[in-house]
This record gives sequence, C-alpha cells and structure tokens, in this order.
Amino acid sequence: MLLPVFAVLAVLYAFPLYWLLATSLKGRSELFQATLSLYPEAPTLQPYVDVLVDRGFLVLLRNSIVVCAATVILALTVGLLITYPITRLEVSPRVRTGVLNWALSLRFLPPIAVVVPYFAVVRTVGLYDQPLALILIYSLFNLPFTIWMLKGFLTEIPREIEEAAFSDGASRWTAFRLILLPLAMPGLLAAGVIVFSFSWSEFLFALILTSTPNAQTFPVGVQGLVTQFEIIWNDMAAAGAIALVLPLVLMVLARRYVIAGLTFGVVREK
Amino acid sequence: MLVPVLGTIFLIVTYPFVLAIIQSLQATNGGAFVGLQNYVIGLENPLLYEALAATGIYAALVMPTEILLGLGLALLVHRTVKSPALRAVFFAMAIVPLVIPPIAVGVIARLIYAPGYGALNHILMLTGVIHDEINWLGQPITAMPAVASVDVWQWTPFVYLVLFSGFLTVPHEEIEAAQVDGASGWSQFWHIELIYLRPLLVLIIFFRLADVLRVFDHVFILTGGGPGNTTQLLSLYLYRVEFKFSDTGQAAALAVVVLVAVSVLYSLVTRVLPLERR
Repeated sequence: MLLPVFAVLAVLYAFPLYWLLATSLKGRSELFQATLSLYPEAPTLQPYVDVLVDRGFLVLLRNSIVVCAATVILALTVGLLITYPITRLEVSPRVRTGVLNWALSLRFLPPIAVVVPYFAVVRTVGLYDQPLALILIYSLFNLPFTIWMLKGFLTEIPREIEEAAFSDGASRWTAFRLILLPLAMPGLLAAGVIVFSFSWSEFLFALILTSTPNAQTFPVGVQGLVTQFEIIWNDMAAAGAIALVLPLVLMVLARRYVIAGLTFGVVREK
Repeated sequence: MLVPVLGTIFLIVTYPFVLAIIQSLQATNGGAFVGLQNYVIGLENPLLYEALAATGIYAALVMPTEILLGLGLALLVHRTVKSPALRAVFFAMAIVPLVIPPIAVGVIARLIYAPGYGALNHILMLTGVIHDEINWLGQPITAMPAVASVDVWQWTPFVYLVLFSGFLTVPHEEIEAAQVDGASGWSQFWHIELIYLRPLLVLIIFFRLADVLRVFDHVFILTGGGPGNTTQLLSLYLYRVEFKFSDTGQAAALAVVVLVAVSVLYSLVTRVLPLERR
C-alpha cells in the first residue's frame, strides 16, 4: 500500500515544482508553440534576466531583504524584552499567562481586519510606501510566534547557571550578555530564520501599503506579473522560482525548528 | 522593563481597533458622524453573505480534507516505515510545501490550472480523458475546488508532520499491552493512539482555522475572487470594499464586525488548546 501512495504523492508534489522550473527555463518563442512541451526544448536563463534586470525586480529583491532583515532584528529584540522578564524575573503568574494569551490571540487575528485602520494610520504618519511601515507591521505580526518560541527556549536554560554568575558579582546585564545570550543563540537563530521566511512571504500588507519600487517587496512584483492581461508564463515562473528559493534554503537549514515554530513550540522534533 | 514594552505594543495594537470603530461611525467622504449607518449598509449587502458562504465552503473543503489525509499519511508512515533514514527523508520533503510563499504557490497553481498553458489540461488531453480544455479557474463549479486544492497541497504536510510526531509520543508499553491482548491494528489506533493525538488535533484545528480566516494571497492570484463572486472569501471581500469600492466607512464597519466575531470564535477555541501558558 505504501508504494502506490508515495508514487502518487511524489507526482503531486514533484510535478508542480518541476513545471515551475521547466517553464522558467523556456525561451519566449516556446510559450506560443501550437503544442505545449512538457520540458524546455532550448533551456535558457533569459526569463530570470528579464525579471531581475529588464523588469527591475532586483530592487524589489533588495527591498524584501532589507525589510525582512530589519524585521528579524526588531521582532527578536522586542521578543527578548518581553520573554526575558517573564521567564527570568519574579513576575506574577497572571502577567505571564496574560502575555502569552495575548500573543496567542494575536495569532488568530486576521490581518485583513486591521488593514483598514493601519492603512489610515500609515498614511497619516507619512509612512505610506516606506519600508519602515512594513518592518513595524511585520514585527508586530511575528511577535506572537517569537514570544512563544523564545519563551520555550529560555525556560529550558537552567536559572542556576545565571545565578552562579550573580554570586560571582556579575550584574544582570553581564549575565544576560555573557551567559544567557550565547546559550539562547541557537533558538534565536532558528526563530530569526522563521521570522525572516514569514516576512519574506507576506503579501497583503505589502500590496496595500506600498505603491512604487521604493518599498514594494518581491511578492508584490510577482503578483504584478500574474494579474496582467496577457501572462508571460516564463517570466512569471522565473519570478515565482526566485520568490521560493530563499525561504526554502533557510527553512531546510532550520527544518528541526519549523514545526515547533508553526505550532508555538508544542511539537518538538528530536 | 516589561511595562513600557508591553504598553507600547498594547497601544500599537489597540489604537487601530479604536480607530476602526471611529472610522466605522463616520461617512467615507467628509467624515461626518453617521451613527450605525455604515453597519446597516455593510450588513445589508448580500455580497457579505456570499463572502461568508464562500469562506465557509472553503473551510469545509479544506480542513477535513487536510486533517483526514494528514492523519492517514501519518498513520501509514508510522506503521510501515521503520527506517529512520527514510522517515527523515519524508520529514524533509514534507517541510518543502510549507515554506513556499503562498504567492509562489499561487504562481505554481496558475501554471497547472490556467487555460492555454496549464499543465493539467494538457496532461488530461494527452491521456484522452478530456477532449476540450476545461477552464478550471473560470467556471463557478471548478474554481472553488481548484483554489481549495492549493490549500490542501500546501498544508496537508503540516498536519502530517504534527500528527506523525504525535504518534511517536504514544507509550510503547500501552501498544505492546494491547497487542498482547490481541487488539487489531485498527483498535490500537482507535482506542490508544487517537487519544494521544486528540490534543494535537485541537491544535491543528486552531492553527488551520486561523489561517483559513486569513487566506488571501493564492486566491487573489488565481481567481481574484471570481468567477462572479464564487471564490470571494471574506478577506478578499473586505479588500474589495476598502480598495476597489473605496468605501472606508463600510470597510471599517465590516472590520469591526469581523474582529468581534473572530474574538468570539477565538474564545471558544482557545479553552481547549493544549498549550502551556505558565
């Protein structure tokens, strides 16, 4: 029973990805042949050049990288500012539960419901079509997951290690910097990778809050190729392929943490 | 330290809600106070109920399919694949669809379903199943299943991964004891394993529901809500009211209604969530 099931699954998952790649390697003349070819007859990287250079998507790629990197730094910083006290200081359990519950409820909030007021706020404060608007909003929407994941990592580091440092006369800040932070680094890196990938994929806010290559991210560019009157299939496929490469590489590197991240740390891979 | 950080975030999160309420009570043009008029207009619009119905159909198509397929796969792999290396391969492969940006998944689906270039029509015609192209995304009957299939493609692996790791937490002793008692594989699953999986199933329902309510990207790319309004999910409808009809007052009113409804839904679901909140 196993073999046929996996044969079917392999086709269902491999073929669409293959088809994306194959299309992205076709020359333009191949798109309009009378009979569709299931493989590129004369493979070319021209569609990638078209997308990145001729259509100017390199700028969008840069925007995406800037926005995502800044989001990672901001979300992790704020995440630590919140999770350090609730895991390390004498905070009443009610505050702790309150913070975690609030973070969880934010996960359930559909972004579309806040798009209307955010749009108004962003325009009023002059952040429309600015990368900063996306950085702030992405950081906020990545906080629930960051808080839950960092809380998991921080609680696993025994308090005794820091307390030993305190008794040697280290200040709280020194203990944090020299002891806790290095120990938490793998967790921070994993959370960072996942925040980066989530932000990289985000589309709705980027669509609404940007209008020019000044702040547009790569997914917005991809969408522009799809909704055109006549779709240039190879360019669209190349853009899609570029959009998925970076998160794919990052998440495969951090694969042990992906499910923990998606389930708020409930499911751990060993 | 905690107070200023949380205070700031609280403001950032709360202010937009307050603003949405204010916007919902004002006329879109001029901003005069109009009372509940926006709510009346918004709630009287049949398009809202079409959007709610579309969202319901989408959820009804997607969630049971993903959960049943994911559960079946997890059970199958758990029972038949014993090699750790092979399990690791399945694990790595299941991660792949999860991490592809929904926009890129939309592009891929477009390349499969679109008329003219879509691979599905091509393959069906090559094998003689159909003789004329089917406009998968352009017909009301096929558009919703096509859009839903994309969700199933992307998220069944998530269910699989969570439940597979769930099977690993079932204590060996219980299974062995059941086997000594002569329990069939089926009753092992039904009476032992499923009990251990139950909290994870609740968790899956929570996260999938949260995501189904926010689905936007791949539908926007594939059908834009069409044909007609058949795939116009709630998120696409709100987007349309605000940015296509430019009716901020009505959009704000709908946003407030959605926020209240989602809060109620959340408070129902969250009670049974198996999360460690201490």
